Amino acid sequence: MMGFSSRMAWRETRAGWRHFLFFLVCIAVGVGALVTVSVFAANVERTITREARSLMGGDIEVRLSRPISVEGRQVLESLAERGIAVTHASELIAMAAVQATADLPRPSQMSQVVELKAVEPTYPLYGQVGLDPDRPLHDLLAAASCGAMSCHGAVVQESLLIRLGLRPGQHLKIGEELFAITGLLRKEPDRMANAFSLGPRVMISQEGLAAAGLIKPGSRVRERYLMRIPPGSAVMPLVHELRGRLDKDQARVSSSHDAQPQLKRFLDQMGRYLGLVGLTALFVGGIGVATTVHAFMREKMATIAIMKTLGATTAVIIGIYLRQVLLLALLGSLLGAAVGLGLQQVMPGLVKTAFAIDLLEQIDFGATVSWPSLLVVVKGIVLGLLTAILFTLWPLLRVREIRPVVILRRDLAAMKQAQEAGHRSGLVGGRGSYDGISIAAATVTALGLGLLAVWQAGSWTVGLLYAMGLLAAVLILLGSARVLISLVRRMPRPRSLPLRQALGNLHRPGSQTTGIMVAIGRALMVTATVSILERALVEQVVTNRPDDAPTFFFIDIQPDQREGVLSLIHRQTGALDLDAIPLVRSRLASVNGQPVKAEEDAGASPADRDERRKNWYLTREYVLSFAEALPKGNELIKGTWWPAGLVPEKPLISIEEEAAKYLELDVGSTVELEIQGAVVAAEVSSIRKVEWGNFTTNFYMILSPGSIEGAPFTYVATARVRPDQEVPLQQAMVRAFPNVTAINIGDVLDSFTAMLDRLALAIRAVALFSVLSGAVVMGAALSATRYRRLYESVVFKALGATRGLLLRSFASEYALLGLAAGLIGLVLANVLAWGVLRFLFELDWSFHPAVVGLSLASTVGLTLAVGFVSTFRLLGQRPLPVLRHE
Amino acid sequence: MIQIRDLVMQLSGGGHTLTVLSGISLEIPDKQTVAIVGPSGSGKSTLLGLIAGLDRPTAGSIQIDGVEITDMPEAELARFRREKIGYVFQSFHLIPTLTAVENVAVPLELSGVADAVERAEALLDAVGLGDRRGHYPVQLSGGEQQRVAVARAFACRPPILLADEPTGNLDSANGRHVMELLLALHRDAGTTLILVTHEPQLASRMGRIISLRDGRIASDDVSRGGPMSQEQPR
Repeated sequence: MMGFSSRMAWRETRAGWRHFLFFLVCIAVGVGALVTVSVFAANVERTITREARSLMGGDIEVRLSRPISVEGRQVLESLAERGIAVTHASELIAMAAVQATADLPRPSQMSQVVELKAVEPTYPLYGQVGLDPDRPLHDLLAAASCGAMSCHGAVVQESLLIRLGLRPGQHLKIGEELFAITGLLRKEPDRMANAFSLGPRVMISQEGLAAAGLIKPGSRVRERYLMRIPPGSAVMPLVHELRGRLDKDQARVSSSHDAQPQLKRFLDQMGRYLGLVGLTALFVGGIGVATTVHAFMREKMATIAIMKTLGATTAVIIGIYLRQVLLLALLGSLLGAAVGLGLQQVMPGLVKTAFAIDLLEQIDFGATVSWPSLLVVVKGIVLGLLTAILFTLWPLLRVREIRPVVILRRDLAAMKQAQEAGHRSGLVGGRGSYDGISIAAATVTALGLGLLAVWQAGSWTVGLLYAMGLLAAVLILLGSARVLISLVRRMPRPRSLPLRQALGNLHRPGSQTTGIMVAIGRALMVTATVSILERALVEQVVTNRPDDAPTFFFIDIQPDQREGVLSLIHRQTGALDLDAIPLVRSRLASVNGQPVKAEEDAGASPADRDERRKNWYLTREYVLSFAEALPKGNELIKGTWWPAGLVPEKPLISIEEEAAKYLELDVGSTVELEIQGAVVAAEVSSIRKVEWGNFTTNFYMILSPGSIEGAPFTYVATARVRPDQEVPLQQAMVRAFPNVTAINIGDVLDSFTAMLDRLALAIRAVALFSVLSGAVVMGAALSATRYRRLYESVVFKALGATRGLLLRSFASEYALLGLAAGLIGLVLANVLAWGVLRFLFELDWSFHPAVVGLSLASTVGLTLAVGFVSTFRLLGQRPLPVLRHE
Repeated sequence: MIQIRDLVMQLSGGGHTLTVLSGISLEIPDKQTVAIVGPSGSGKSTLLGLIAGLDRPTAGSIQIDGVEITDMPEAELARFRREKIGYVFQSFHLIPTLTAVENVAVPLELSGVADAVERAEALLDAVGLGDRRGHYPVQLSGGEQQRVAVARAFACRPPILLADEPTGNLDSANGRHVMELLLALHRDAGTTLILVTHEPQLASRMGRIISLRDGRIASDDVSRGGPMSQEQPR
């Protein structure tokens, strides 16, 4: 008897462990997702703050979009007396052409758009430039002689060499100057690791830039003056002083304290949103917790009944199990936190390979976890605990429904069957007893989860929207699952035995179908939504490119080059009807008589989105054009366009709808524009709606002809050419007009698609945690029905059923489950994607059969795999031992 | 004809092995009625389960109609059970989610019988439960459940019917009713009937009584003349 007792005790523990294990894993996966994301985001953000000076390149940065004035230069030079080091860096887009030499076979591509940066010997003030060979930057950039010609040195990113088929030591022509490639640029401390860039970096000296002769009036250039102040000096007074003294230059002066506000905000938001995706994994896991506790309570029914006959109150019993839940949730949360922290060690490598960005390397990101991120870990653990408690509330309350009379029935097995078959045995209170307490419990759970979401999102709006969306999704999934179950129940029973058994398993009471469908459906909803959004965005931008979209934009065309460039395009491609649009850079000086402060305090970025937008519209640089006729793709919504051929007495201006809204401009308002030192006042004569996605040059502001005569404008020309004409046209343009940059729209779109891909990959990687949760929940649910499945499969076997038949029956059940959860999840994903596209991106939704097909197939694959793993051992059971122990 | 030679069954667990059957040899000719009796733990039910191929013995051989079943592949074993064996359990083992008639139809469907449900209805009529065909197991009394189980066991008209304490969970009236059913099947269809019981009264109605003790045959009394007892082998 001893043997049997210990065997039974072992069996009990083992059966219990199965529950506990799923409980632990459900919580651990969710907490793991949260902790992984939040700790990583916190670490990156802290490193960025620590490295702020080298990321900006100095304690203070003065930034201009045109060469500095003489007075301005004097101001900066005077700083040296006060011990302030200043270095000048110029950044611009340019064309680099391969200089063919005897030893260099003609490469397929002869020129490439590059992001050029010219620096002084004092650069960098902070941080290190990573170079190969490891020699001083100044030496590598120095002037030299290349054969008979003079040349300068240049260090370049390796990708340029790959694209142009060059090796170090060979030459590039940029503008008028020849550059010898003296080294590779591995790391640049103050280049914002842009996911989006127009071309590889080429770094040259300021002397080299001057020799190239690229800076012409109106050229697109970013002039940066970086400063290092003596230790102990205050930064902010100097910032304010410079803002005052450089006011005329329209310089933006910022300190490293408020450096990278966009990057920080981006990382912060990314962290929060990815955190919400992680929270979804936790909430999906919560369903598993509920399932597990529910199954556990059912097993403990006899124990509970005995305790009740012995006089234990419901509260006492709930207290016992709640303690158990808390302990398990704590263990699961700790496990998840450990996993999350462990993943930090591999995250930098993972992020680097997956997203191919060097940001982490640039900021010397280490995987060390410090005290501040431990707070994030604690938050993850607390979220795990609270989620577990909220999800167990409802199943625990079922304790109330168990009546002590249960134990008077000798045949507990029969009672269990009765319960499973869903017939009122009179032992357990009605299933749907929605009394005050259960309604209160449901409300508490919903509210609690909502608050957890708000806490994670760090915003009431986002958190509540998320919680409401989630609640709606769960309700819809629940409703659909119920409808499906009742449909299956009413369906005529199919003739095929395995199929009938499968359907029976789906709709029988206690089947866990609902839980599995909600968990899998919700996980799928998240991943499918990301895929659909990605597809829609790529399609909108890349695939839906209008047929007449240009291939090239030629920028920085000087007025005297306009005719030449147009006739070159014509000669090369035979295209007629070419035009070049004039443009000039400017800033707002005043709006409706109110002066615009040139420098809004970048550090104090308003929390309000509208306020931020308004600020952006007020302080941004506007590229203006003037035009005779309303450009294509523009629609007048208010006011009138100026008559053609007439120069209005007073400059008139047409404003884009959104800009007008945020700048509070209407027809008749006046704006003053500062154009390279001169102020032009113009009266708003019309408001336009602009079709931004049409791949032509569009403008927020268009002036009437003659308004800005004499201003240093450049032209932009567009050309639509056949693919085989692209390279020759680009070559010819670089040869004839070295200062004109040819931007290939295809390359830009490729870069955009790649960026979108990486973003989607990041979200999908976190969403994978919810899929994992979904799988664990399904495993838990199947484990809850494990005994019943075992029993039935051996009875079937005893009656002569083969393993194959049982396998077919299980497979049909899991496939149906996956199919149903997948379909509902996909419908929800499409609805969600539609909403996001419609209201956030203002794009149309379309059906993506590939996404839907693939998602559906992988869901069915997942349910089959999880089901198989959970139940395949049952198939090999011999009937006698099982039936004997009944 | 069932031939059993040197059948050994050992169970391991709790760190030591328990020998349930230690060297059973016997032959049961067709159409015999046999009672296997003995104290609890003597291995009666295990012997019955092994004859049905519900588990594999540790050693020894079982041949049914000259075919060895102990090393049969699983799928073949399933087919063998379907064709040769009907089994009635002490605790009925009906499938809770199927109605009475569906439970009876399962073996017929497994054999691919086209009019499985119709035949199952006829079988239910035969055990006097024609009016309960749409009921689920929990809606039936124990006696009714066992009658459904008998109908199910006999659905494919197997030549061998095995019953493990078929009346053990029933009151005496219901037990008698089930017993009459089993004997009637033997009488009408010539089915070999082997039942495990510890009720002497029930055993006395069988043509042969095999008594087990500690996993061995303690006595094998073939001389008794039960109702419809068949000729004994020479």
